Amino acid sequence: MTLGQLTVTLEVNGARRRVDVPASMTLLEMVRTRLGLTGSKECCSEGECGACTMIVDGEPINSCLMLAVEAEGSRVTTIEGLGAGGMTRLQESFLEAGAVQCGFCIPGMVMAATALLERVPKPSGAEVREALSGNLCRCGGYARICSAVVDATRAERSNV
Amino acid sequence: MSDPGSGTSARRVGGADRVTGAQRFTADIALGDVLHVALVRLDCGRAAIEAIDASAAGEIDGIVRVFTAKDFGDPMPRFGPRFADRPVIASGEVKYHGDPVAAVVGTSREAAARGADAVEVGFVELPGVYTIDDALDPNSSLVVDPNLREPDDPLRHTNVRQRWEWGWGDVDSIEADHVIEETYRFPMVTHFSIEPHAFIAAPEAGGVAVWSSIQHPYILQRTLAQMLDLPISKVRIHAPDPGGGFGGKGYPKYEPLVAMMALALGRPVRLVLSLEETFQAVRRTNARLRLRSGFAADGELLFVDSVADFLMGAYADIAPRVISKSTYYAAGPYKARAVRALARGLVSHTTPSTAFRGFGAPQTTWAIESQMDAAARALGIDGVEIRLRNLAGRGEEIVVGDRPADGDWRQSLRIAADEVGWGEMLPPGHGRGIAVGLKASATAGASYCILRILHDGSVVLIAGTSDMGQGARTILTQLVSETLGVPMERVSLVMGDTAVVPFDYSTSASRSTVFMGSAVVDACQKAITDLVGRFCEHHGLPVEEVRFSPGEVTVAGTSHTIPQVLKDIFGGVPGEIIAAGSQRGEGVAGHPLGGPAAFYEFSCTASEVAVDLDTGDFELVKHITVADVGKAINPQHVEMQDEGAAVMGLGHTLMEHLILDEQGRIVNLGALDYRIPTFKDLPTSMKSVLVENGDGPGPGGAKGSGEGGLLATSPAIAAAISQATGVVIRDLPLTPERVWQALHNAEGELREEETTEGKHSEDQ
Amino acid sequence: MTDSGDPDRRTTDFEYHRPDSLAEASELLGRDNAVALAGGTDLLVAIRRRKRRPAVIVDLKSVREIGDDIEVEGDHLRIGGRVVMSRLTRSELVSAHFPALALAASVVGSVQIRNRATLAGNLCNASPAADTAPVLLAHSATVTISGSYSTQRVPLGGFFVGPGATVLGPAEVVTSIEIPLPATRIGSAFGRVTRRRGVDLASVNLACVVEPSGKVRFGFGAVGPTPLVAEATLADLATDDGWSRLLAVTSPISDVRASADYRRAMLEIHSRRALRTAVEQLDVAS
Repeated sequence: MTLGQLTVTLEVNGARRRVDVPASMTLLEMVRTRLGLTGSKECCSEGECGACTMIVDGEPINSCLMLAVEAEGSRVTTIEGLGAGGMTRLQESFLEAGAVQCGFCIPGMVMAATALLERVPKPSGAEVREALSGNLCRCGGYARICSAVVDATRAERSNV
Repeated sequence: MSDPGSGTSARRVGGADRVTGAQRFTADIALGDVLHVALVRLDCGRAAIEAIDASAAGEIDGIVRVFTAKDFGDPMPRFGPRFADRPVIASGEVKYHGDPVAAVVGTSREAAARGADAVEVGFVELPGVYTIDDALDPNSSLVVDPNLREPDDPLRHTNVRQRWEWGWGDVDSIEADHVIEETYRFPMVTHFSIEPHAFIAAPEAGGVAVWSSIQHPYILQRTLAQMLDLPISKVRIHAPDPGGGFGGKGYPKYEPLVAMMALALGRPVRLVLSLEETFQAVRRTNARLRLRSGFAADGELLFVDSVADFLMGAYADIAPRVISKSTYYAAGPYKARAVRALARGLVSHTTPSTAFRGFGAPQTTWAIESQMDAAARALGIDGVEIRLRNLAGRGEEIVVGDRPADGDWRQSLRIAADEVGWGEMLPPGHGRGIAVGLKASATAGASYCILRILHDGSVVLIAGTSDMGQGARTILTQLVSETLGVPMERVSLVMGDTAVVPFDYSTSASRSTVFMGSAVVDACQKAITDLVGRFCEHHGLPVEEVRFSPGEVTVAGTSHTIPQVLKDIFGGVPGEIIAAGSQRGEGVAGHPLGGPAAFYEFSCTASEVAVDLDTGDFELVKHITVADVGKAINPQHVEMQDEGAAVMGLGHTLMEHLILDEQGRIVNLGALDYRIPTFKDLPTSMKSVLVENGDGPGPGGAKGSGEGGLLATSPAIAAAISQATGVVIRDLPLTPERVWQALHNAEGELREEETTEGKHSEDQ
Repeated sequence: MTDSGDPDRRTTDFEYHRPDSLAEASELLGRDNAVALAGGTDLLVAIRRRKRRPAVIVDLKSVREIGDDIEVEGDHLRIGGRVVMSRLTRSELVSAHFPALALAASVVGSVQIRNRATLAGNLCNASPAADTAPVLLAHSATVTISGSYSTQRVPLGGFFVGPGATVLGPAEVVTSIEIPLPATRIGSAFGRVTRRRGVDLASVNLACVVEPSGKVRFGFGAVGPTPLVAEATLADLATDDGWSRLLAVTSPISDVRASADYRRAMLEIHSRRALRTAVEQLDVAS
């Protein structure tokens, strides 16, 4: 094995991928630079801001704190993997609620909220705030983001 | 299909891209062949650079070149919006913690980072100027070489970079029944946009193309043209929507560095800052304000006598303007018989301070409003009453000889008081506070746009406002849609490329709705005139017989849609209607600020808190902001901006402050220890109210907005804490520890004195 | 004076291994400059900040001897070394027997962090402010340490040696944490002080366990070089002197998060409140 060079095989947004990466590359860096999926964002790189949130094996995680090689054999979903070409009910709800300002935190917010709704189909406002408390928004859109998530669960169509 | 009219909350244009991750921010742009830059920064404050040894770095696989000061010419090129003081890269001396001393270029990010790690820098730490007191101390070293200052500047051998004196009347001749004299401190805070700054440059067509998360592309364009000795037409700025700007991405920072490296290497070059690097690159100007305010026994404000010291960083950036513009309104939105205000812009060996939402007004408002509350307490007058008594009414001057109050400010105050339940019974441990804030908008500037009505009646608007979240795309689209009568889905917006988009002065000072909005309406009206004119010419009709109303041209009782008209006038060979619109504010020569403000942004904040007297912890029970906006073209956008501003205000009020050690290093560098508000820090109940009196200069009577919500946050919450606890705190942030310290002595016993201050933070 | 570049530069080259046996993991960890990786929420930050520059990273997540279960085993609850914080917050066993632990686990970072951070990792990182440590100390927890040749069970009180330091040898790992199931009903509480209501490291954290006999056991965090434990009785703690003696084991310092004075004051206030809560719980249960 070459120092630090590995091959990782995993599923990203439903597609099987096989990628050569240095050992030190994070999942976030791999997805952004090797797979060209730039929807997940890099901000603090320390797990404090949530902008890099992806769903790995069903759970929301900070992809900046995971080595790409740790995702061997995993199922990864990024923002690009939602909605099958369109938008999910949750994403529509973000737009309707006026929850989107500059948009940089939004992919992370949507991923964290998507994961929440899979676990808790009708969360209260407090549950939403708790579940998203690892996602920072400097534009201060928290109240509307919270409304967007709660409102999404009231849709007639199935959510997510 | 969405209703296009002004005053409706049409869905955000560009929203779908943001919510699906399709939006390309600068760091998402992948140019083939691009090289990556890593900056070399030292773990010190001010230091003399003795030697830079890049030999080890050069050996590393993937390193293309290491640039240092000597690679950029002698003398070192300098730039800046007010003084050309900022070097392309640190030259001879590290002037602040994080000042880059070398730029390593590599074929990958990892290689560049490894290269930066391997650069060896010999340096010696020097005594630095890190606080306001340091800067005022005549024995401190000089931050700026006197030879780099104007030869006739009497202050060039001091760390006072600029000073201003404002005022009218004779303060000393006024007999006041009660004089309040206090000192207030506003901390060093940083923008912390979730998108770190990103810069890409590439040689292009005899010039250079730059991608930057920049708020003012045209200022950047002009700066680079000057520095690179290129005609402006050969400098192309691509400005993807910034992921949050707040003023921190307004003026050039590392674009000159990246552009020069790209030209030297003949290849595209990319630099994306880490979050820590953004903390070291931009911050708000911190301040110490000493106010002496004289009041009559009935609460009338008679005079304000103030000394405001603002600590700028190592390079002035736009901070002098921040200081002059905010301190000019030394009495705030109130009428005062006399004012004497001295403001000083001090330089220091710290991160260059720049524009930050509010532009100095949060700092001055903290002091002015705290004084108003101090007077209210001393005179036994209610906090709302004393403000009603002193606020300027519509048409009354707040600065003698300048634009008078342009709104019904008392109305906003009353609404806020009502919403927060002012005067109602409070449970024990609870308190309420209320405060008002004023910010002057743009004094001069220009916005241009181009409107194209294509031959099927769809429209392209080319306009250079930067949409960094405030919804510029949406409201400009709404204005076009409403004026021309074209559905929003048939309007496309082109922004963010100086090669294609005409000049817009800046996206700042809450100016865009008024300036660019007016330019857009102007372009629409010219397009309509052109359309109608050609229609008349084609049909041989006199113009008076033809009427335009949104979506149709009517003559002799028959109406024609715009596509029909276009088909008529262009016949077999397609064409389009092209119109240019503009809005200019020339300013006024000789005016201290370059001209009166186009309008005032006035805001009121009211808060209720519940304090745990044992621990100093407190809950924000209610938080109300009232914004006087003239007309909300898109109410949802305005509300979300106002709420967002309120949350940002909670930051510097409750938890944000950059902490420097004695060597000027930022101790809490990064998201772990620099805390900004999260979901769980929201007030229990928060509301934003818009006041629309149609009394602004923009379309439909609009004013600008977006900065108001954070102007008065601090004094409102501090007043609420005072009411709940009896202690008065004059330093920010109001952390639980600071409140506890104000309430208790070191042994943990409750203090007896009524008004005390906690231990002062260092005057940073 | 020289400086070789930026302290918080991220990257470094290293080998990555994911062994499936303890023997292999132990051998790898015994190599020069090797570190263990569990959830990565501390290690990757440390690497980015240049505080750790490992040559070899040993991912423990496939080691079969490091369990992934929360189960009752005889007279104690055993939590496997691979169990993450979010499992603890959702575990009925933990909520039933050790609600203070569920609470402490729920404030570690965010949901995203809790889905990766392991309880074992939190202890091995040995931050004086680790939120789970005071609770485990108050409950007299032990950790099982395994290496190539031996396995031993160590009381948590003897596990921490200093800030960031434990008794773990270079080739050893924590395979599980055991908490003795209380023989009687108990009351417990957890408290912490932070700079904001949002996700934050604790300026002070603490936990207490009260038994019907009147015996009280406290764990304290962020007020000494390691998490600390102290015992007293309810009778002791009816007097101010008793509180002074209890808190004498702590030595709060001033740092970027809080001053020593404030820590000292908050420690006592929140300890008293925690004791009240625990006693109420006990009374209600009776």
